[in-house]
Amino acid sequence: MVGEELVGLTPEMIEASQAGMKAMAAAIAVGSTGIATGLAEMTIGSAAVGATAENKDVFGLVLLLTVIPETIVIFGLVVALLLLF
Amino acid sequence: MLTPEQMSKVLIAGPKDMMSPVIAELHRQRLFHVEDFVENDQEEYAGYRIGTPLEGAGETSREILRLRSVTGAFSLRPDDLDPKARVRKSQLMMQIEQELPGIEDEVEALLSRRMALENHVKEIEQKIEALTPFSEMRTDLSLLHGYRTLTVFAGYIGKKIDLGVPSEEYYSESKKGNFLVAVVPVECRQDVERKLLDAQFQPVPVPDEPGPAKERISVYTVQLEADRKDLEEISTQIDALKSRHSEFLVACDELLSIEAEKAEVPLRFATTDHAFIAEGWVPTDVLDSLIEGVTRVTGGRAYVTSLPTEPGKDIAPMEYHNVSFAKPSQFLIDVYSRPKYNELDPTLIVSIVFPIFFGLILGDVGYGLMLLAMSLGLRKIIKGEEGRMLLDVLRNASISSIIFGFLYSEFLGFPIPGLPPLLPSRHLNIGGGEGGHGPAVPELMIMTVWIGVLYITVGRILGIINHARQDHGSHRTKAILANLGWIMVMWGILIMIWSYFSMPLMLDLTQAEPVVAGVSLPTIIGAVLLVLGIIFIARDSALEMVELPTILSHVLSFARIVGVGLSSVAIAMVVNFIAIGLIIEPQLEHFTIIGIVAIIVGVFVFLLGHLFNAILGLLGGGLQSLRLNYVEFFTKFYKGGGKKYNPFGMKRRFTED
Repeated sequence: MVGEELVGLTPEMIEASQAGMKAMAAAIAVGSTGIATGLAEMTIGSAAVGATAENKDVFGLVLLLTVIPETIVIFGLVVALLLLF
Repeated sequence: MLTPEQMSKVLIAGPKDMMSPVIAELHRQRLFHVEDFVENDQEEYAGYRIGTPLEGAGETSREILRLRSVTGAFSLRPDDLDPKARVRKSQLMMQIEQELPGIEDEVEALLSRRMALENHVKEIEQKIEALTPFSEMRTDLSLLHGYRTLTVFAGYIGKKIDLGVPSEEYYSESKKGNFLVAVVPVECRQDVERKLLDAQFQPVPVPDEPGPAKERISVYTVQLEADRKDLEEISTQIDALKSRHSEFLVACDELLSIEAEKAEVPLRFATTDHAFIAEGWVPTDVLDSLIEGVTRVTGGRAYVTSLPTEPGKDIAPMEYHNVSFAKPSQFLIDVYSRPKYNELDPTLIVSIVFPIFFGLILGDVGYGLMLLAMSLGLRKIIKGEEGRMLLDVLRNASISSIIFGFLYSEFLGFPIPGLPPLLPSRHLNIGGGEGGHGPAVPELMIMTVWIGVLYITVGRILGIINHARQDHGSHRTKAILANLGWIMVMWGILIMIWSYFSMPLMLDLTQAEPVVAGVSLPTIIGAVLLVLGIIFIARDSALEMVELPTILSHVLSFARIVGVGLSSVAIAMVVNFIAIGLIIEPQLEHFTIIGIVAIIVGVFVFLLGHLFNAILGLLGGGLQSLRLNYVEFFTKFYKGGGKKYNPFGMKRRFTED
């Protein structure tokens, strides 16, 4: 931001906008990683259900494979929480 | 603890005429896990063949088949019944001969009558459907048939048209479509057909019935009602038979299944013309009673001995050996995979840690009580063994949830008055009224990171023990060192972080004096651990280096405990805010009729919202804690894929010898 644009803004307003930016950033962090996880789990999940239907014994293994992408959204969550608090 | 039941390999050999008493004894004891005999070129089994079923096996199987058709018609399952008195085998055998055929015939007669009636009902329904288009027409339907000089057209048509030939017509309009019946001279037939085709005529067959359609429909409706009544009566008769005989039938089923199982087990033995050999496994501490029992029933004519096991060749079946507290959690381990015989059994650890994780996520006294009530209430409905285990797991988890609810000071999202939270607070500032501190997120996060670091370290230590027990030679040393390496890398990174950043609930090593080149001692220790660890890992398998980032991701994955937990608290507080803050409270200032309705709506929102959140919490808390065990913990040491110990014999519930 260039100095001229700040003319007419009180410190409170700047603070409030900073808080807003933080909230936006947190929302993007959780939201986008959530979508990414969803996309990744979509194909794995359907394949996993198919595999389990054929052979029940693989349930543990396919559950593992299905939840691997969840790490992405957890990272997003960690970033968001660190931003907010 | 952490190890399965000790197993011994057992060999039973004897003359063929002793086979039947030996089988009966083995079945009674329910200890002997039969190892299937496979015909191959093994030297010691030259000349042996797979055995043939005992006498009467075919007959028993046929009897079971007939019985199952009856129990199938009753949709009767043994699990649904609580056994009352046990029936003696001899008495039941007599009853099977005398009473069972009668019952079977009765049921079969009822079933065939039911099927005939159902077919009849279907037929009548079709007839009524065919008659319905003609229902408004008063003409006798028999008059629409059998002319030589006339042709009859009947069907739906888009709009009324002029046929242009001498004709007798009936036309009616309805929602289903416009219905036309036309009688024309036979010589004009082609002409009319073309015209009707242009008008999108859809012909329907003229039913072959005497009298007007409406009359016929009412006749058939009466028949239909009578049939339905009969069907209902048959259902009540079947129900009556079911309630009268269900206990007898499940007892028969049990007895016949046992007989069939006994008769067919020689198919798993090795036999010659005069002798048989059975191999299998028995828990070591009951080996003596097995030997003693078999020797007693055969008068010493069968030979029982325990065989030495060859590691790698003999795969022993696995039976859990846990304290009763941990037993329900065996279900969770079986869902993943049963441990191998020579592998550590993590049931005890999971049985302690799973409820703790669940409580950390769903730490709320109110929800804990709701789930506890649910787990106790469902015991009346869910009868099977696995279902019971699951309910016990849920019960433990909900008790833990109540305890952690007190530690977090939460009741349905409200703080418990007069009880400050002992754990870092999770109270959010929803509704904006209260202000205050808000949740202690950094502390909560660090707490979960600690849990992650410690739990993963435990997992790696168990991995070291597993490799020490299972592997041999240089691979053993490498594998042990690699697991140690993973621990060292993790702690090395942690120590280095400590020496640069100061964090709550963590060691603060930032104040340490620099020793060499401005680097402090803890940093050096951390770096050395890190490098050594990586070397250890790479020595075992260089490809494993790709997995190094999982150290970070697996530890941070434990942050889901805070994440999912906070979201559950947030939903609870939002429900409270909407129900009480927005709907109920404003009405309490001055009562009006609408106000009272609003209060009722508010209470409804409150109850529904918390019920919804409790179910969500159960799913979230349960699945996430399970996942932390399956993915973050088990991958460090646990493979599974063990063979289930499945002793020959059946648990008798309704019969006795």
